Amino acid sequence: MATEARILKPGGTAPRTIGRSLLLTLPIALWSLLMFANPQRHSNRSLQIASLITAVFMIALFFMMMRTTSTYRWRRWFFVALGILFPVGFIHTVIMMRGTMGIPIEEMIAGRTPFCYLPIPLLILPAAFTKTLVFPGSILPGGGMSGAGMAAMAGLWLAITLVIGKGWCSYACFFGGIEEGMASVPARAKLRKIDPRWRYGPWAVLLAMVLLSLALFEPAYCLWLCPFKAVSEYVAARSTVGMVQNGIFAVLFAGLVIALPLLTKKRTQCAFFCPFGAFQSIFNKTSVFDVKIDRARCSPCVLCKTACPTFSLTDESIARGETLMSCMKCGACVDACVKNAIVWHIKGTEVACKPERARLMFLYAAWGMAVMFGGSIIAEGLATILHVFV
Amino acid sequence: MKLRAKLAYTAAGMTVFAALLVPFLLMGLFTNGFAALGLHVDEMYSGGPKVRTVQTSAYSIDIHRPVFPHMLQSERPFVQLDWRPVSALPSHVSDLVDVDGNGQPDIRVSFDVPSDAKTPLRVNVEALNPRYEAMRNVGKEKFSRLIVRVDDVILVRVPLAHP
Repeated sequence: MATEARILKPGGTAPRTIGRSLLLTLPIALWSLLMFANPQRHSNRSLQIASLITAVFMIALFFMMMRTTSTYRWRRWFFVALGILFPVGFIHTVIMMRGTMGIPIEEMIAGRTPFCYLPIPLLILPAAFTKTLVFPGSILPGGGMSGAGMAAMAGLWLAITLVIGKGWCSYACFFGGIEEGMASVPARAKLRKIDPRWRYGPWAVLLAMVLLSLALFEPAYCLWLCPFKAVSEYVAARSTVGMVQNGIFAVLFAGLVIALPLLTKKRTQCAFFCPFGAFQSIFNKTSVFDVKIDRARCSPCVLCKTACPTFSLTDESIARGETLMSCMKCGACVDACVKNAIVWHIKGTEVACKPERARLMFLYAAWGMAVMFGGSIIAEGLATILHVFV
Repeated sequence: MKLRAKLAYTAAGMTVFAALLVPFLLMGLFTNGFAALGLHVDEMYSGGPKVRTVQTSAYSIDIHRPVFPHMLQSERPFVQLDWRPVSALPSHVSDLVDVDGNGQPDIRVSFDVPSDAKTPLRVNVEALNPRYEAMRNVGKEKFSRLIVRVDDVILVRVPLAHP
């Protein structure tokens, strides 16, 4: 009985049987085997072992999601692992390739700057007006540090966004896990009163960075404001300007990714700053999945509002029975609700109608993407550790 | 079940199916689609297209089309010259280069070629044509004013004084 109580979510939904949970996990197990049984991996023993561990890890987490009907706490294990292991694999790769985390000007000229998804919204206007990508990378597959090129990252982003929309920020972003890990450290938030207007921060940063990138013809966010430069690669400090840029990266990382999540138990960089997150919110409108509140069941106790890591629930939105468009479908609010009033939902269906079916359909899509993209990054990071330390 | 709900479940099912197609079809489709848009990397980084090659006995000098900055871009207009292959270059290079192809030399470019690829490079450029800006002992200060080694090529970017 005690064990059963531990694995239940607060709402008190009975756990599934082990057999049924295994059955529901089977598609993800097959998908994981398909994703990690890449013949190219077989030449690298560290990667082979890391892939096996990652596959078991991802399958086990999905099994627990099925068994407990709780989403957030199991997803968090994956997400934090992704946040920790991405820098491990990435930093190891750049150090091996160029001996430093600082990107020298010759690497930019050679088009070997690694391209992540964060600058995508900044490139749209210059590309639309002048057919020019204001990023020192390569477009075609075969270019870039990883050999993938900007087109590959853009293609991957578009495909995953088509499937899970803003869910990208909870199941694919390889940066968010660091702050989610930090936010999960303290038992209680020390800083609770936060002005809700900070929620508009990402939109303000997005607007400013899009206009600046168009005017200056450079990826302004990458050059000046990206906190994750501190754990990936930074501008090689050739001048005072370079040192100022690196100082800004370090301060933003320490403040938004380490200190504030520890104080607030929230993903503060995502909630107050990330321009890509704001841009990705637009795709919540195109996604078929969302999170809704069954107002007939809701008290409202606002436990969901407290649990939301990105301030995507307000008293007004709860009264309307919906989350804000910044909701990244992490499941924290659904897990927190003691009355099962907040539920996964498929747009166009009744709110209270088979929420577990909606959850399952979303999770198959989202976890499939998590295994394919995040899983491969986790495996790379693990392989680095195995290779270096074992 | 209402028609609206049936359509909703169909859309959700198609989304799950689309997830299956991501690594096998959609990702490649979107990647190729993006590549086919005809976009190019900003010439401030790429150096612009090559327009001419001057061949010497041992090595060649590629001359690129001049690059002009956009709007508020904080760089000067420049022209990029590539010496290749580095392995065929003498320990000191001093070349007169006809950049605009009118048969008259426009600049004299001089630099040492260290045997260690990681040794920083410095370049002197003497302007024989007022269109080009002279440079003394320049390393890699800005995208529009530098000398760097990229793989087996040494690139020199000379700012234009009067574009």
